[in-house]
Amino acid sequence: MPILPEYSLAGRRALLYTAGGDYSPLLAQALAEAGASLLVAARRQELVDAALAGVGTKSPLAPLYERGELPSPPLQGGVGGIFHSGVVSDLTTPAGVAQVMATLDSDDAGPIDILVNDARSFFAKPFAEISLQEWETVQARNARAVFLLCQAVGGRMVQQGYGRIVNLISGLAERGMANAAAFSASQAVVLSLTRSLAVEWGPHNIRVNALGLGWFSADDAPPEVQQQEQLVRYIPLRRRGHPRDIGPLLVYLCSEACDYTTGQPVYVDGGLNARA
Amino acid sequence: MLDRLSLDGKVVLITGGGTGLGLAMTRALARAGASVVIAARRAGPIEEAAQEVRDLGQQALAVTADVTDSAQVNRMVSVALERFGRIDALINNAGAVQENVVKPIWEISDQQWHQVMNVNLTGAFYCARAVAKPMAGQGTGKIINVASGFGLRGGRDLYMYCVSKGGLLQLTRTLSFSLARHGITANTIVPGYIPTEATQSDILESLPKSGAFLPTGKLGRPEDLGPVVVFLASDASDYMTGETFILDGGGLAGGLAPTGYAPLAELEP
Repeated sequence: MPILPEYSLAGRRALLYTAGGDYSPLLAQALAEAGASLLVAARRQELVDAALAGVGTKSPLAPLYERGELPSPPLQGGVGGIFHSGVVSDLTTPAGVAQVMATLDSDDAGPIDILVNDARSFFAKPFAEISLQEWETVQARNARAVFLLCQAVGGRMVQQGYGRIVNLISGLAERGMANAAAFSASQAVVLSLTRSLAVEWGPHNIRVNALGLGWFSADDAPPEVQQQEQLVRYIPLRRRGHPRDIGPLLVYLCSEACDYTTGQPVYVDGGLNARA
Repeated sequence: MLDRLSLDGKVVLITGGGTGLGLAMTRALARAGASVVIAARRAGPIEEAAQEVRDLGQQALAVTADVTDSAQVNRMVSVALERFGRIDALINNAGAVQENVVKPIWEISDQQWHQVMNVNLTGAFYCARAVAKPMAGQGTGKIINVASGFGLRGGRDLYMYCVSKGGLLQLTRTLSFSLARHGITANTIVPGYIPTEATQSDILESLPKSGAFLPTGKLGRPEDLGPVVVFLASDASDYMTGETFILDGGGLAGGLAPTGYAPLAELEP
């Protein structure tokens, strides 16, 4: 089955930050399938374990690559990455990010080419009832962590003259919704960072894009069941998105072939943005 | 998961597929495993492109058609269906970048206005209309419109081009919402400035010769479109519809200052 080699992430090293949710296993799987080696970072061990569950920590083919008996990890066919690992750290603090950078340096897996931020820790409450603490926590997990990671990892990318950064964001970055003010604001921060970093770091061969999502769920309920919800019937494609719906696009946005797209959100939302 | 990026067994119809950006897309589609129907007004370039597709081991059909003539568009779709039995994706790429596209408003004739609107917008509508029924019958289909950064921002004295490309974005959104129930998706590719033979020979000489003005510092290449059009034509984009995929060197993300840099300023106390 022919697949363009342009999508390959063979030999690339990716840092995947997840702030929660149940998308990370399939995101990790897509990146690994394309040949990237992963370091997963999250604030709790369960989040790291969940992301790595789909890829394991080492490809069964790894010894063959290491001995040079295979030219490079395959683009398809299960786990393609050579080496995957995780680190538990508080990414909302400079010390926590420093710990991740130290992990990157310690495992001798080469420079960091790809940063994927899945910073969408969800929270919904009537605006008048949101405590300052809740507001700060949402902004810290979803926006401050992305700021700190982009600064630390992006700095390395500037030095090496290559990098791909993909920020997963919610469509609420560009829309208002009752009860979602704190979450939406955090997503708008990340979208805005995406645009400015793309412009600022474009000359360094770093591309920064956002992958925007509509209503998604990792459960596999059939469309007829999903359509009992009014929300699902409002989506033009009449089903929720599933993380597997964004895996291939994530891979492309992380690839060297994604060279002329930068500073853009690419939305995958079943048609929500287009409808009246 | 990534095997959904293959176009193995898919039939893709592309207008303007024999030259420029269209030819680059045709090559990528074939490399990804698609059978390609290549349409354009002139037979020569599409025959050559079809031979390239065959050399890549895929099936190809060249059909001459002027997209501004709905009878020719309908015939083009019929011929494609007769040969392959289905059309999985339509790429509305035919576009006008001919002379006289840049003009002060008071010098634009009715005929010039309609000519560009007909090729860029009405032609895409004719093609979408012609494939919509067969795609609805299949229960699947992908319509991909190729617009331009000028569909999102204004260009000086570039009336027909900007308006027709902006219209394509709205055609995409309306197609996506209306045809979603039939399993058909529609998306727009927005190329920024990517030099091709067409633009080089055109009077658009005011367009820059280098990409120094862009955040990426370089101009796009037609090949940059390949992985994007293949993704949008493939099953990997099944949940994406009504959207706009921009490849513009970062121009649209910035663009508020010619340098891209804000003057440095300290925080006020």
